[in-house]
Amino acid sequence: MNAARDARKTPETEATRRSGPRKVGAWREHHAWSMSISLRRLGARPLGTLLTIAVMGVALALPLTFYLLLDNVQRMGDALGRNQSISAFLKPGQNAGVAETAASALRGRPEVADIVVRTPKDGLDELAEVQGFSGALQSLDANPLPYVLSVQPKAGLSADDVNRLVEAMKATPGVDMVQETGAWRQRLDALVGVGGRAVGLLALLLGVAALLVVGNTIRVDIQSRSAEIGVLLLIGASRPFVRRPYLYAGIWLGFLAGVLAVALAVVLELAMAGPVGRLAAAYDGSVSFGALPAWLLLSVPFASAVLGWLGARLVSARQIRRAAAG
Amino acid sequence: MIGFDLVSKRYEGGHQALTDVSFQVGAGEMAFVTGHSGAGKSTLLKLLAMIERPTNGVVTLDGQKLNTVRPGDIPKIRRKLGMVFQDHRLLLDRTVFANVELPLIIGGVSPADRGRRVRAALEKVGLLSYEKQLPEALSTGEQQRVGIARAIVAKPAVLIADEPTGNLDPQLAMEIMSLFAEFQAVGTAVLVASHDLMLIKRMKKRVVVLDHGKLVADVPATEVV
Repeated sequence: MNAARDARKTPETEATRRSGPRKVGAWREHHAWSMSISLRRLGARPLGTLLTIAVMGVALALPLTFYLLLDNVQRMGDALGRNQSISAFLKPGQNAGVAETAASALRGRPEVADIVVRTPKDGLDELAEVQGFSGALQSLDANPLPYVLSVQPKAGLSADDVNRLVEAMKATPGVDMVQETGAWRQRLDALVGVGGRAVGLLALLLGVAALLVVGNTIRVDIQSRSAEIGVLLLIGASRPFVRRPYLYAGIWLGFLAGVLAVALAVVLELAMAGPVGRLAAAYDGSVSFGALPAWLLLSVPFASAVLGWLGARLVSARQIRRAAAG
Repeated sequence: MIGFDLVSKRYEGGHQALTDVSFQVGAGEMAFVTGHSGAGKSTLLKLLAMIERPTNGVVTLDGQKLNTVRPGDIPKIRRKLGMVFQDHRLLLDRTVFANVELPLIIGGVSPADRGRRVRAALEKVGLLSYEKQLPEALSTGEQQRVGIARAIVAKPAVLIADEPTGNLDPQLAMEIMSLFAEFQAVGTAVLVASHDLMLIKRMKKRVVVLDHGKLVADVPATEVV
């Protein structure tokens, strides 16, 4: 009897004494099987799978779309605000020397791109070109206009930087008043800031929603396969082995939803490209369309796959325990 | 190979299913457990499969005490067992091949080896040509044979069967039992719970008789008439 027993050394005896490479091989086999069986299960119920992917995909496409919109609003603000100069009016009676001294002092500031000193005569000439003013100007005894420093800020300055520059201009000796026409820019920056925060929160909420969608899909799948789970456990499957295909299903669902979200965002991007192009033409090409960055498009499917895995992980252990007990 | 030493089982509801049952089944031995409905046959097999734990006594499998096995080690113990159920418990959405393949996948066997061993098991039970069929396309007897192929494909040290011929006609039942006897002949310990006395007599194997959870007779194969 012992001879017979020794002669038929079972695979399980071998399994319990697995060497390192065999363990790795078994691990690889388990994962390969789990990946393929999870895909086959998703393919076996195409409508349910497509609906889950569609819901998740649309949910994830929304923050991407808002990000695209905000980025382009910001770009438009940058582009339109690029040529907005700030004017510093010197006190009446100041001479060219004072104007040049003030201009030199401001040129050294990091926020300043260029300064043009406009004399009272330049101002008068400009006014004379304006229809209806020439007659009135001829009646003046003297030129009442002051020296004006037209300061061009550097592109891409923040609202704080612009404020700092305006304060510096006001404090420059000889300056009477400063006229800043870029207040709208500050408001736009503030608005974009609020929008950015809202997009962040929306992405978080929709991410949680996507996670719950996957979790619920996996929960229902496990419930419908409780008999199968019972059989697998009876014939020697461990709980991680039983659970693994459901985790892979979560990863597949998340990944495919991420791909769909990216595809939707790219379609919206292409749809916006035409109108933005026309807008750019209207502003002499100063407005350019900002596409979603490649790193974001590439990372969304993988981040979404992680969400899917997390959603599946959250429900699978408990559901499998319940199915096994049933 | 299989040992029950003064094993008792009392369920939570208070039902005493087994009382001080003791017997052993060695490698290459086949034994029937019989008795009327509720005698404790299924409970005995559930203790071996670690679906239940004994209230008292010691159950051993291949020299290992099952009472002290940690929950995480239960799958390893179950892989030493081949289990055949009265209702087959096949996965109806998988082919015959995929059903039989499952224990090998769980054991981490490579795809090439799996194919070879699954076909060998199916050939053993006479169903090689059915490998691509779904279980529902098969007769009850054929389904039971698929269940047996699944139980033996990983060459377990112990084969246990709970009323494996309950739904089969006498001729099919005899064929199934003959299969079990073949596995016994190559060194597998086989324990079959059955209430089919005619079949048990025809097989002429050792018979353990339970009555109200107590072992009332242990008849050696040579004394079965």
